[in-house]
Amino acid sequence: MTPTSLSTFLLAGPELTLVAAALVAYLGGAFFGLRQGWVVALAGIVAAALWPEMGPGSGAVATSGPLAIDDFSLFVRSLVLWAGAGLALVQSGDQLRAAITPRPGPRPTGTCEEAGTFLLLLAGLSLVASAGDLVLLFAGLELVSIPTYVLLALKRTDARGQEASLKYFFLSLVASALFLYGLAALYGIGGSTSLEAIGARLRSGEGRVAGTAEILLPVAFGMLLGGVAFRLAAVPMHFYAPDVYEGTGPANAALLSTLPKVAGIVVLLRLLALGTGGTTGLIALGQGAVGPAAAAWLTFAWQVAALLAAVTMTVGNVMALVQTNLRRLLACSSIAHAGYLLVGVAAAAAADATVGGRPFAGPDTAWTGALGGASATLFYLATYTAATVGVFGGLAYLGHRWPEWTSGSAPRPPREEVSTVDDLDGLSGTNPVVAFSLSVFLLSLAGIPPLPGFWGKLSLAMSALEVDWTARAVPGSRRIVFIALAVVLVLNAAIAAAYYLRLVAAMYFRSAKRGVQADGGIAAGLAMLLALVAVGSMTFRPKPLFAAASRAGAAVAAPHERGPITADAPPQPGTAPRVPLAP
Amino acid sequence: MSLSISHLVVLVPLLPLLGAIATVLLGRRLGPRAHLPALAGIGAAAAVAALVLLGTAADVRGGHGEPSRPVEVITTLWNWATVADAGVADTASGTPLGGAATATAPFSIPVSLRVDPLTATLLVIITGVGLLVAIYSIGYMHGDPGYPRFFALVAMFVFSMSMLVAASNFLLVYVFWEAVGACSYLLIGFWYSKPQAARAAKKAFLVNRVGDFGLAIATFLLWMTYGTLDFHDTYTADGTIVPGILGQTRLSDAAGYVGGAVGTAICLLMLLAACGKSAQVPLHVWLPDAMEGPTPASALIHAATMVTAGVYLVTRSAPLFIGCPGALTVVSIVGATTALVAALIATVQNDLKRVLAYSTISQLGYMFAALGTGTMLGFTAAIFHLVTHAFFKALLFLGAGSVMHAMGGVIDMRRFGGLRQLMPVTALTFVIGAAALAGVVPFAGFFSKDEILAALHSKAHPAAHASDHAEVRVAGGALPDAAAGPFRAASYRSDAAPRGAAGDAVGLDALDRPATFQWLYWMSLFTAGLTAFYTFRAVFMTFTGPLRVPEEAGHHAHESPREMTGPLMVLAVLSAGAGLVLFVTDALGRFLAATPSLSAPAIVATAVPHAFHLDLAIQGTLAAAIGIAVAAIGHYGRRSDSATTARWLGPLGPILANTFYFDALYRVAIVKPLEALALVAALVDRYVVDAAVDAIGRVPGTWGAVARRLQSGLLQRYALAGVVGVLAIVLALAWQLRP
Repeated sequence: MTPTSLSTFLLAGPELTLVAAALVAYLGGAFFGLRQGWVVALAGIVAAALWPEMGPGSGAVATSGPLAIDDFSLFVRSLVLWAGAGLALVQSGDQLRAAITPRPGPRPTGTCEEAGTFLLLLAGLSLVASAGDLVLLFAGLELVSIPTYVLLALKRTDARGQEASLKYFFLSLVASALFLYGLAALYGIGGSTSLEAIGARLRSGEGRVAGTAEILLPVAFGMLLGGVAFRLAAVPMHFYAPDVYEGTGPANAALLSTLPKVAGIVVLLRLLALGTGGTTGLIALGQGAVGPAAAAWLTFAWQVAALLAAVTMTVGNVMALVQTNLRRLLACSSIAHAGYLLVGVAAAAAADATVGGRPFAGPDTAWTGALGGASATLFYLATYTAATVGVFGGLAYLGHRWPEWTSGSAPRPPREEVSTVDDLDGLSGTNPVVAFSLSVFLLSLAGIPPLPGFWGKLSLAMSALEVDWTARAVPGSRRIVFIALAVVLVLNAAIAAAYYLRLVAAMYFRSAKRGVQADGGIAAGLAMLLALVAVGSMTFRPKPLFAAASRAGAAVAAPHERGPITADAPPQPGTAPRVPLAP
Repeated sequence: MSLSISHLVVLVPLLPLLGAIATVLLGRRLGPRAHLPALAGIGAAAAVAALVLLGTAADVRGGHGEPSRPVEVITTLWNWATVADAGVADTASGTPLGGAATATAPFSIPVSLRVDPLTATLLVIITGVGLLVAIYSIGYMHGDPGYPRFFALVAMFVFSMSMLVAASNFLLVYVFWEAVGACSYLLIGFWYSKPQAARAAKKAFLVNRVGDFGLAIATFLLWMTYGTLDFHDTYTADGTIVPGILGQTRLSDAAGYVGGAVGTAICLLMLLAACGKSAQVPLHVWLPDAMEGPTPASALIHAATMVTAGVYLVTRSAPLFIGCPGALTVVSIVGATTALVAALIATVQNDLKRVLAYSTISQLGYMFAALGTGTMLGFTAAIFHLVTHAFFKALLFLGAGSVMHAMGGVIDMRRFGGLRQLMPVTALTFVIGAAALAGVVPFAGFFSKDEILAALHSKAHPAAHASDHAEVRVAGGALPDAAAGPFRAASYRSDAAPRGAAGDAVGLDALDRPATFQWLYWMSLFTAGLTAFYTFRAVFMTFTGPLRVPEEAGHHAHESPREMTGPLMVLAVLSAGAGLVLFVTDALGRFLAATPSLSAPAIVATAVPHAFHLDLAIQGTLAAAIGIAVAAIGHYGRRSDSATTARWLGPLGPILANTFYFDALYRVAIVKPLEALALVAALVDRYVVDAAVDAIGRVPGTWGAVARRLQSGLLQRYALAGVVGVLAIVLALAWQLRP
């Protein structure tokens, strides 16, 4: 690890900007209210996004202190900032509107700290992707978890909300504990907290890692996976999702179904890179053979990921089929999407795994322009995030209606939400724009062409099919496993279409029982439209996202040389060493 | 200029699209003014299209002074999708079958718009006629409950049609080929609660599917053969040229086009597509029924523009057809046959709109007959006729709509008469349109039809024309450069050695003989007489004789409002004068010759000096005069006497009345068997497939119920399940490490 210096802070500029904005929001809590807090939050996100690119350039990695920034980190960072902007709008709800046009009535509850907490969450998530060290990795993950508890607890003060936040809190603690055990075991294997050093040790060709510590491999991997599975809402740590989503509001459900999943996928791909040598690899080019420890690590990874992928998507989808509560349904569907994402992870692990110490001959990439497993996962993650933020933004926008409230003099009845599937009946008549947007998001999630969700699912299935592309599909072979996995994915997409289309049908083919007032705040509606624009641009111009995901996936999954930034010279854009990807 | 053209051409489709979107969004709010967004969009597009035409004309004229030098401007908006390394390779040689494209060329679909003389001409026709029809519809569709929907569809159609002619890629052409088909479907079925309208829309759609199938297969074959679908040349990142199918590189390459069986298959499949869209025999059956749609839609889509898409496709693909003389001759045969068959049927129709519908089929047949000659004169004559036909047929349809509007929706010619007293403007403009259609000197149709007859005649009697034009050439001395070489009036592939990569000739090529074209010429001439007859039969039955008005007309029986008569008068002026102006100046012909597709050496070699063929003109005029005279004898000022007609026609009567039994044949041979198959499929589907699917469908639901049971809501169970799961994973992994 290179020593921490000024360049470390410059590299982490966007994250630090977010933290600084969070501090402003916290301190400002003494002077102004929640509405202004969200304005600060949005300003902070924009400022972080405007931070000049300090990255190492295409295909290289910049390390400084505990940070290791490569194309993967940059991809995740921009995904986090885009999603953060959308989620901040959803979170702010009607507060943002009130900040612009004050209106009479009781001031909304909540404090400015809410916005600051949200910013810390984003910063933590971005740090996870930039971490080159176990300590920073864990710190980043906790910086995601702890603000999540706070937001869950702050937003809902009714009994169900408190139950939801408490459930999330305790289960998250269990997951964090498991993850920490895993990290300890990993430290035992690698003898270092640096991911780079651990990876080098794993791949070092020695038969026994750290003497007799081979048994630590399954312990480390299993425990780490337990921690990640919670964040992904994947089997076996998925149980909380329906209860928590139902108990909290749409804004928090949007947050829960996107940001922790990003964190989980990021950690999982970084852990894979330990075996493949991804960004932090030190494998000399041409010397492809890796040690049996790394081979075992990757074999564990694809086996477990493939199994969990199949189980998770099936469980999520069949549970979603029988739900009538909208947020419960979407929680189950988010479980299923975690399963889809794991397909790509399994493919990424298998494509780079070595079998019996022999270097694995990669899939025949000349066949199509399809993405590899890691890239497909990242692409899918981006399409999923955009559509999910859109769905919950739309639901938040629809929420808060006052069915009987007519005049300003009558006491305002409590706000209601769109909570069941039946509430969406006839939405196309009462709110055509929202109905259209929601349908686009839902169809994208279902994977209907030409929406981006289809390209995502296609990429995932292709990445699975490309594993051992040249090998023969004999029973028991890896190829047959992955063909089966692709088949399960497609079948699940068909099952999922049933409940997504049920929602669309409710909006378009049933008549409205009660009018929906769509008084959930213009900001949530704005987030929905922003997501619609994002989904639309991914539909019509998927290429930039494809390219970015492809670069990011290559950075995390393919071995290449690193270009360190020397400790004392502050990095300048353009002067950072640029090492091209190996041909 | 070209820079601005490349920007302007984007606006031509874009503005109507915006108009359509605005109509959809605001239509209900605008109420009776719902036509405004669509009208503004189409009107602005028409103005822009005019600018594009002027700019292109300046490009053709200016700079190089070579009339035959092709002009094209390509605007690539974005690359829709790219599949790397998709290039098809001939397994034997490792290169694509006919082209110079590299074997690893990416399959890319650039959204490219092009401007060349052909596109510019058609854009003006589409937007111009579209604008007039939209104005007319303000009056015609007034008070219809679907008023905004109609204008949204018309604007959508103008968008799709402009994209169709401006697209520079066969895949995009296919996309918008379908898009105009969809607009047509929606407009035919505009009054969808009327069963006939819904049926007609379905019929049009299904019959068109047959043609679309042809276009799809042709597109696949083009990709397999040429390794690209672009019309124009493109450049790869490393600077090498990927020759487009109709690009300069391939056009100037003698071996650029594949003939033989593959080439002929491509051409015949394209012809199938054109037959579907342009209602040629045997796929013409949908167009007469399509008259169930609103009359302005019939005028715009089923007379002036969409049905000419087939003519456009063949003209655009001219270099492909030139390599396959057999397929080319089939185009002519199909065209002339259609012209004759449709004209015969039109003579016994009593529904005014159906007369016009069959006449449209017949006139489109003329265009195909001209295209099939494969000469420069043939191609330009077809487009010339397309232009004049767009004017006079839109005029006739709008006139018929005006009559229908006044007669309270009645369109049966036997039920009204003498309407010239009631509707002077409609009557006068209709007569002008009829004269243009019948080919009366000096109305528009006369000149374009004369050119088509000349094109056929020059193929039928190559020697005579060669000497003819040789004299003209000596006298005038103003030949285009391209024709300055050894003069050939028309070339026959069966005589000449196979050109370029054409390779082996196919059996069909034997059709390409003067005798064939002699037949086709006389068929066309006879059709010209029939055209004059049925046209003026309709005129006499509708507008002459004692005034008769059906009772449905009520208080409507008066001249139509100004929004409707205005477009009629504009179109009447164009129908009267456009032919003369365009023929005398030969502006259109010289302009079109600069189209890249028509600049293939094989086509340029057939260019002849512009001339007026007095002998052919006399023949054509004589045919028209006889037709009008017979119509006058039978119908001027009198009711048609069906008994007399039947006696006169003899055994031909029932055949014509049943439209050559096409519909009956299709019903027995295709529809009934398919319906039987559908019934079997439905039963199997319901009782076998559905039952199985239902059973499978219940499985996830059952699992879901089980999973829900596990979802107990108890925190400690959740945590326990998670930890047990993780331990199971750890143990399972550790098991694999056992020695």
